[in-house]
Amino acid sequence: MFERVLGGPGGLIPNAVQKRVWNVALYVIALLVVIFVLTPLYLMIVVAVQSPETLFSGGQLTLIPPKLSLDNFRTLIEQTPTVSYFVNSVIITGSSVFLSTALAVISGYSLTRFDLTGKSIIARIVLFSYMISPIVLAIPLYVIFFRLGLLNQYISAILAVTAISAPFSIWLMWQYFQNIPIAYEESAWTRGASRWRAARDIVLPLARPGYISVAIFAFAVAWNDYTMVRIVLNDQALYPLTVGSELIFQEVFVGWGEQMSMMLIMSFPPFLVAAFLQNYLLQGFNLGHG
Amino acid sequence: MGVVKESQSRISDGVEKNQLIVIALLAPLATFFGVLWFVPLGYSIWSSFFSNPLGASEFVGLSNYVTIITSNDFLYFLWNSVLFAVSTTLLCLLVGLFFALVVNRVIVGGSVLRTLMVFPYLLPTVVVVFLWQFLLDQNLGLVNRLLLDLGLISAPIAFFGDVSLAMPSIVAASVWKWGSFAFFILLANLQAIPQEYFERAKVQGASQWQQFRDITFPHLRGAILLILLVRGVWMFNKFDVIWLTTRGGPAGVTTTLPIRVYDLAIRLGRFGQGTALAVIMFLLLSMVGVVYFTVLNPEEEVAG
Repeated sequence: MFERVLGGPGGLIPNAVQKRVWNVALYVIALLVVIFVLTPLYLMIVVAVQSPETLFSGGQLTLIPPKLSLDNFRTLIEQTPTVSYFVNSVIITGSSVFLSTALAVISGYSLTRFDLTGKSIIARIVLFSYMISPIVLAIPLYVIFFRLGLLNQYISAILAVTAISAPFSIWLMWQYFQNIPIAYEESAWTRGASRWRAARDIVLPLARPGYISVAIFAFAVAWNDYTMVRIVLNDQALYPLTVGSELIFQEVFVGWGEQMSMMLIMSFPPFLVAAFLQNYLLQGFNLGHG
Repeated sequence: MGVVKESQSRISDGVEKNQLIVIALLAPLATFFGVLWFVPLGYSIWSSFFSNPLGASEFVGLSNYVTIITSNDFLYFLWNSVLFAVSTTLLCLLVGLFFALVVNRVIVGGSVLRTLMVFPYLLPTVVVVFLWQFLLDQNLGLVNRLLLDLGLISAPIAFFGDVSLAMPSIVAASVWKWGSFAFFILLANLQAIPQEYFERAKVQGASQWQQFRDITFPHLRGAILLILLVRGVWMFNKFDVIWLTTRGGPAGVTTTLPIRVYDLAIRLGRFGQGTALAVIMFLLLSMVGVVYFTVLNPEEEVAG
């Protein structure tokens, strides 16, 4: 049926008309998607930068702020533990990014530079592990960390988050090293360079876009994580922003403005990544379907 | 002669040294999977045979599994999980596909549109949930205001609290966040199609629809399959977006298996049953994993 209507020469709808309809449809869809994506982001910013007086001044939400104000941020910083939660987020995310990336680089290098039997089994384990639900891993980790007395230590959150991000990081790095020809190193070896020197001076610089992609991915997992940290961390003083914001929102004086400001603070590092490092992120998508 | 001998002995030295290096370099990988994956999963399986491993544990055999599978809720929660996974994945795929086709076409503004799509993917789920709760709020939400102004509804709706609307609302928020996953993969695949194919098709008088069907779609088939499988599994596994919006309510309409695992193990303290359900989830996903490995052969990329 499609064929008779939409076919080429002799189809019911001529190609030129089809082309015009298609082009108009594309731009309409683009516009709808842009509105769909932008509306929540715009609301976040507009609510965060208004003082409570102007926010509901007309009885309804003010969509175009008459006056900008940073009061909400001031309230959060002065009267709530936002800053210390932010620091916790940085500690947990930073450590996890480092661990995940280092593990990925070392594993990717060794899996591509040596003849090993059972590589496809390792590949399957790596791939299969990122199909397992984080919650399935979080529950036993909670009990194990409980037994080890680690529920009030950063290390339990760092390890739990790394467990989630590392399999994909390893996969990405493995593929990336696969694309760096071993010939460069071999020529360095014949000129007397040690394995370590060849790896450090030749392979690592070539792999730079790869491990930056990996680090961004590990960052996104760790900074965004809620599930793992909520389950394996018992000490409220160590909570990152994602989990800690829930506690802050239970305070009496916190309204929509402060809550949106909190969301904006939490979104700020990802915004920076999106603005300056998105090409590395996209490279990760192209390589390993992140 | 002497030179050859010397280099041979250097090579055999090298082989032994290499083995040590390999072991040293693969130790972190083995430790990682051993400590953070195999031990916890093994522990889960072990716990699922006991009544309550945290207190006085008692071996109960398969009775945790029997309790879960024979309970009336199990199939309902499984259905919720599948419903959530399938609807979000299909919508993500549709939104991603259309938008990738658009961005691939437009000459001006393509990179701006691309950057725009990066934001939702990178924002923490906590933020996404909060934004959608605000958007759909009963008193202040823009959506209610719009629907009221248009006269489509007579009273504001509590989207996340409504039995029939809670699941679609979570699906909408999820598509907003994860739609760009499909978008980026499809865009990369679109851009890899050689332009000559389309030129030649145009010369031969092929219509837009024929070009899509015979050139674009076959090139995207692998990516679409991958998105359906991987995104589907990840959505099936989602805990945070549902937990943060509805806690599995109202009346359990948004309770999926991951939410149930948390409820059983952490909230209700029935640890044995919680881990048994986790193991059941693991087995279900293993079946999808088998499909993934046989259909797409992903490991060939590195070990083929």
